[in-house]
Amino acid sequence: MDDLIKLVRTYRLTAGLAERIRLAEEICRMIQPDLRYFVFSSVPPQVAEDVMQEILKAVATGMKKFEGGTTKEFWAWCYSIARHKLNDHYREKAADRMQPMPPDDLWQIMELSAQDTPMSPATRHDLEYALKLLTASKPECNELLWRHYVTGLDYAEIAEERDLNYDTIRMKIGRCLDEAKSLVS
Amino acid sequence: MAELSQEDQLRLHEFSVRYRAALAKKYPAPENSLDTVKDAVREQYEQEMDAKRSPTIEPPSPTPEREPDEPEP
Repeated sequence: MDDLIKLVRTYRLTAGLAERIRLAEEICRMIQPDLRYFVFSSVPPQVAEDVMQEILKAVATGMKKFEGGTTKEFWAWCYSIARHKLNDHYREKAADRMQPMPPDDLWQIMELSAQDTPMSPATRHDLEYALKLLTASKPECNELLWRHYVTGLDYAEIAEERDLNYDTIRMKIGRCLDEAKSLVS
Repeated sequence: MAELSQEDQLRLHEFSVRYRAALAKKYPAPENSLDTVKDAVREQYEQEMDAKRSPTIEPPSPTPEREPDEPEP
C-alpha cells in the first residue's frame, strides 16, 4: 500500500496529540508540492500563500472524516478541498482569478527551469511553440487551455470549477485548440 | 474538432513539467508553512478533549406535576 494512504489511515486511528501533529505534518509535506502548483497556477502569488494555508488546514482537520481507502481517493478529496477553497476565494475577490500573464513574463518564469535542467535549442523551440499555442487565442480560450494542459485539470474538473457540463467544456477546449492552432501555424 | 498531434502533446507536457519546476523555484514553500497546520490540529484536539470532559447535559425530562398529599386523618 502507498505510504501516503498508510499515513492517512494511521492518522485517523491516532488519539494522541503529539503523534497526530507529527503525522499531519508528514502528510502535508507529501501533498504540499502538488497542491502548491495547483494553487499558484490558479491565483496570483500574493494571495496564493494564504489560500494554500487554508487548504492545508482544511485537509489536516478534515482527515478524521475522510472515508476513502486509496491514495487516489485521498488525492481526489484533497483537490476537491482545494477547488472549494479557491471558489470561496473567487467569491470574495473575483478580481483575484488569475489574469493571463503576458507571454514574455511567462517565458521569464520558464527560464528558471533551465537552471536545473538546461534547455537545448530544440527544447527551447518546442517550448516557445507550446507557449504560443497556450497564449495565442482570446483570453477565455487561453485560460481553458492553460487549466487543461498546464494545470492538468481534466474536463470533468474544469466543468465542476465553472459550473458547466462535461460536454460543453470538452467542446469549448476543442474549439479553443482549433483556434490556437490556426493562429500559430 | 482538432486533435493534438503526439508531437504537440509532448511539447505541452514538457512545458507543464518545466513550468511546474520553475514555479517551485520562484515560490518555494516557506520554512514555517506548516505551523498553522500544527496549530489547527492542536486546536481540534483540544476541542475534542473539552467535548469529552464536559458531555452535554441532557435537559431534565418533564415529570408530571405531583398531586398534593392527602391530608392525614
